Amino acid sequence: MEPEKKVPVVEEEVSFSVNGGLYQVRVQSNWTLQYVLHDELGLTGTKEFCNEGACGACAVIMDGRPILSCMALAIECDGQTIETIEGITGAKHPLIEAYVNHSCMQCGYCTPGFVVTAKALLDKNPSPTEEEVKEALVGNLCRCGTYPQHVKAVLAAANNLQRGQRV
Amino acid sequence: MSDNEMSKIQELFDNLKSDKYPLDEYQSVGKRGVRRIDGYEKATGAAKYTMDVQLPGMLHLRFLTSPYPHAEIKSLDTSKAEALPGVRAVLRYDDPELPAGADLGGHETSDVPVLPKVAYFQGEEVGAAVAADSEEIAEEALTLIDVEWEERPFVLDPEEAMQPGAPLSNPEALPDGNISNQGQGIDIEEHGDVEKGFAEADKIVEFKFKQGYNTWIGPERPCGVFRWNGDYPEVWVKHQRPHICKRAVASWFGGIPMNKIQVHCLYQGASFGGWSQMGWNLGGHYCSAVIAKRTGRPVKWMFNRREDFYGGEMDTGVYYFKVGAKLDGTITAVKGRAVVVNQAMPVFGFVKHFAENTKIPNIYGKTEAVWVNKGPTTATRCEQNSNCYCLNEVFTHVADALGLDPVELALKNDGAEGHDIAWLNEQKAKLGFKVRDSLKECVEKGKKAIGWDKKWHLPGTNKLPNGKRHGLGFVWTHEWDDSGGTSEIAIRLERTDGTATILGCRSDIGVNAETAYCQVAADELGMRIEDVNYKAQIDAGFFAMTPDTSTNMSVNGFAVRNAARLLKRQILEAATSPRGVTQLGSAPAAFPGKKPEELDIKDSVIYEKANPSNRKTLAELAKMAGAQGPISSPKGEPFRTGQPYLNYTYTQPLFAHSWQVQMGTYADVRLRFCRQAHFMEVEVDEETGEVEVKKVVTVNDVGRVINWEGCEGQQYGGAFMGIGRGRSEEVVHDPQTGVMLNGNLLNYKIPTMLDIGSIDTILVETGMGYGPYGLVGIGEDVATVTPTLIGLAVHNAIGKWVDDFPTTPDRVLKALGKA
Repeated sequence: MEPEKKVPVVEEEVSFSVNGGLYQVRVQSNWTLQYVLHDELGLTGTKEFCNEGACGACAVIMDGRPILSCMALAIECDGQTIETIEGITGAKHPLIEAYVNHSCMQCGYCTPGFVVTAKALLDKNPSPTEEEVKEALVGNLCRCGTYPQHVKAVLAAANNLQRGQRV
Repeated sequence: MSDNEMSKIQELFDNLKSDKYPLDEYQSVGKRGVRRIDGYEKATGAAKYTMDVQLPGMLHLRFLTSPYPHAEIKSLDTSKAEALPGVRAVLRYDDPELPAGADLGGHETSDVPVLPKVAYFQGEEVGAAVAADSEEIAEEALTLIDVEWEERPFVLDPEEAMQPGAPLSNPEALPDGNISNQGQGIDIEEHGDVEKGFAEADKIVEFKFKQGYNTWIGPERPCGVFRWNGDYPEVWVKHQRPHICKRAVASWFGGIPMNKIQVHCLYQGASFGGWSQMGWNLGGHYCSAVIAKRTGRPVKWMFNRREDFYGGEMDTGVYYFKVGAKLDGTITAVKGRAVVVNQAMPVFGFVKHFAENTKIPNIYGKTEAVWVNKGPTTATRCEQNSNCYCLNEVFTHVADALGLDPVELALKNDGAEGHDIAWLNEQKAKLGFKVRDSLKECVEKGKKAIGWDKKWHLPGTNKLPNGKRHGLGFVWTHEWDDSGGTSEIAIRLERTDGTATILGCRSDIGVNAETAYCQVAADELGMRIEDVNYKAQIDAGFFAMTPDTSTNMSVNGFAVRNAARLLKRQILEAATSPRGVTQLGSAPAAFPGKKPEELDIKDSVIYEKANPSNRKTLAELAKMAGAQGPISSPKGEPFRTGQPYLNYTYTQPLFAHSWQVQMGTYADVRLRFCRQAHFMEVEVDEETGEVEVKKVVTVNDVGRVINWEGCEGQQYGGAFMGIGRGRSEEVVHDPQTGVMLNGNLLNYKIPTMLDIGSIDTILVETGMGYGPYGLVGIGEDVATVTPTLIGLAVHNAIGKWVDDFPTTPDRVLKALGKA
C-alpha cells in the first residue's frame, strides 16, 4: 500500500477561548482540536475513541454547537470559543450530579462526550422531550451500553435547571 | 493466630456450599441509590486512563504491521526511518537484545517472539517498532521502512482450511495442517450414549449455523507506558490482569525482582476480555522497556483504532447439530460438531451448558479448532458464548420441530448432569440452600414483562397491521461466576479521621464492583458507606481477582468480607484497651472496663450494646493518632512502663489482611442453581430484511443483589452489546486479498441509543449462589446470552431459519428467498 501523498506540515499560532480562559497555542496544521485540548492543554476529559467522527467521545461545544473535536483542525479554530467537560464541571452544571445519581457511566471513557452533547442540547432546549434527548445523543456511542440511563439523567438535569436548582 | 482461629477463618472461605454467615441486618448491601465511588470522576472527565498518561520526555511507540494476510519479512531497511527528525529509536526483529521468546501475557505464561518476522494475518504487528517524539512522527517513520515481504498463500474460511491441500495458515506452528496443535486441536466432551438417545427419540432434528467474526472494541485503544526509574520499572497497563503484567515484566531481561516493579492500573476504557487474554498483549511493553532503557525516556506504546479490530470472540465458527426428542419435548440426545476459528486460549467445548443445565442424559460435542489467516480469537464477554448459542439454537429448533412453546421446553428439560429438577433440588437442600426453582421464577417474571402468553405464536404466523412480521425470542441458561481465582484484600482504618480504605490492585473496567466491595465492607464493619473507599488502582502488593469470568463479587466479595470481619474485631479490641498514641502521650481506653463483645459499631459509631448512649465515633477513636504515631491496638508491647509520662502501649495500626481462593466451576466443582432468562420482541420488514428490536426483557437470578444499579447496568448494558453482536457486528475480510475491510466504527456497527426500543431489567434473588450472602456473578452473562435472541426472534417472526449470525438484513432476505 502506497502512503498517501504528503502535504507539508506548517505551524501557526492560534488563539481561542477554552472554558473562559484565553489560550495562545502554536499548532501544527495536522493537529486536531482533540489532540490540542487533550495533549497540549491537558484537558484530558476530551477523549479520543473512534478518531473519525463516528462516536461523540471527543465532543466539545464551539460557539454554542456541539462539535466533534477529532474532526476539527486546531489551526481552523482561531478566535473560537470552546467549552469542554472541564468547563461544564467548573460551572457546576446540574448534568454532572444527574449523571452520577443515575449511574450513567460504566468504564466511563465515553461519559464526558455524552455530558458535553447533553449540555449543548440543554443550552438550546432547556426542556427537551425524551425523544429529543435520544435524538441529540444518538451520535454518542457507549460500548458498555449505558444508554437508558442518559435519557433519565438529562431529563432530571433539565428539570433541575427549570427549577433553578444547582444540586 | 491459633489453629482454631485459622480454621474458623477458613470456614469463612468455603464457597462450595451456601453462605453460613449472612448478616442480621444490612445497611447498604442490597439498597438502591448507593452512590458510585467513581461516578463524579467519570462524569466530569477527571478520571484518568492509560491513554491519558503523559510523562516528561515521553516517546510514542508504534508498530509496523503487515499489509498481507500471510507473509514473511525477508529484509528490512530502517535507515530512512531512523534518519527522520524526531525518531528516537527503531527496534528491529533481529535486534540482538530481543530474545527468541518471552512471557508476553495471556492466561498462563507464554513464550512468544517479541517482534515476529512472519505475519499470520493482515494487520499483525511484526518486524519493527518505532519510538518518536510524537505519534505522527512514529507513523510517518513506519512508512519510510523498506520491507521486502515474501507473500505466502493464505486461507480465511475455516472449513476450506480443513480440506486436504488447503494453504497452511501457519506452517511454523502447524506444519501438518490447520488444526491447532499440542493436542488441543480436537476437544471431545461426552456424556451418556447419544446413539441410544437417538433410538429413544420420536423426532430427529438436524441443523447448522455459523457465527461470524465479531470483536470487542474497547473505547480506549490498547496501550501502555513503560518507564525505568533507575533499575525500577514503572508500568502503566491497560489490561484486565495487572498481576499477570507484573509477573511477566519480572521475567524479562534475565529477571527483575517483583519488589522493584511498580504497576499502575488506571481506569480502563473497557476491553471485555479481548487483548488482555492474548499471549502477545505485553509485546508493546517489552519493546517500550527496551527503548526506554536505550533512550532514557519513558515510552508509551499504542495501537491505532483499526488495530484493535484484529482479534475476535472465540465463538466464531460453524456448528452442526443432530438432536433427538420425544413428542412431549423431552430431549433424549444432543450431538454436535463445531469448527471454531483461531482460539488463542485452550479450546473451549460448546456443549457444556447442556450438561450443566439440563436433564439431557446423552450429549456429545466435538470441537475442531482451526487456524486461518485472521487475528486470534479469545474470550470476549465471554468464552461461554458458543455454549449459549448452541443451547438456545438447539432448544428453539426442537420446539419448532415439535410445535411447542420454547419456554415450556426449557422448563421441561431443566436440571443438571442428566438429572431432572427434582434431583437438582435435593442437591440444593444438601448444600444448605433454600430450595427454589430459579428458572421457573425467572421465566414467570420475564413472560409477564414481555407479554409472552398473549403474544407468543407459532413461527411465521403473525403479520402485523403495519405489514411487518412480529416475533418473540427466548433464551435461557445458568448464571455463572466461573474461573478459579484468588484475591488478596486489605482494609486499613485511616489515621486522623477513622475512614476505611480497601487495598487490592485490580483492573476496574467500570462494572462498579468497587462500590459493591465498599458496601460489603461498610456493612460488615458497621460503617457508613461514604466512610469506605476502594482505590483499586494502587499496587500495594495485594492483587484482587480481575473482572474476568464474572468472579468479582464471588471471590473479592469474600476477601473483603473476611478482612472487614478481622478488622472489626481489631477495632473493638482497640476501643477497650489503653492506647499509646505517640512517644509523647497515651490515652485510656475509649470504653474503659468494657470487653469487645459488649460493643458494636453502627453508622461509623462504636457504642455499648447495653447502653447505646455510651458511644464514640470511629473518627474520635482514630484522631488520637498524633504527629507520627500509629493509632492503637491492644497487641503492642508495654514500653518503658513505670515511668509516669511514658506509661503507654507501643502499638500497631488498625489494618487487616485477608484472602479468598475459588476453585472455579468448569471441572465439575459446583452445580449451577441460579438461572437467567431473556426475552425479545421484534418486528421484521420482509421487504428490506430490517429487524426492529421493540423490547428486551432480561431476567437474572443473581442470588443476592449487592449493588442494584451495578447489576442493572450489566443487564441493560449487556443487552445492548448482545443485540449488536447478534444483529450487526461482523469483521469482514476481503476474500481476494485477506485484508480486513471494516476496522472502524463507521463500518463495524456497534449499537446506538436507538437500537433497542425499551429494556426491562428484572433481578431475582433466590440466594442460591455460592458467593457471600448467596450471590452469583452477572458481568458476562447478559451480553453473552442475548446475541442468540435476535436470530430466534426473527425465526419466530418469519418462520424461516437465518442460519448465520449476525442476523443482518441481507441474511434475513436470503432466508426469505429474496436474495
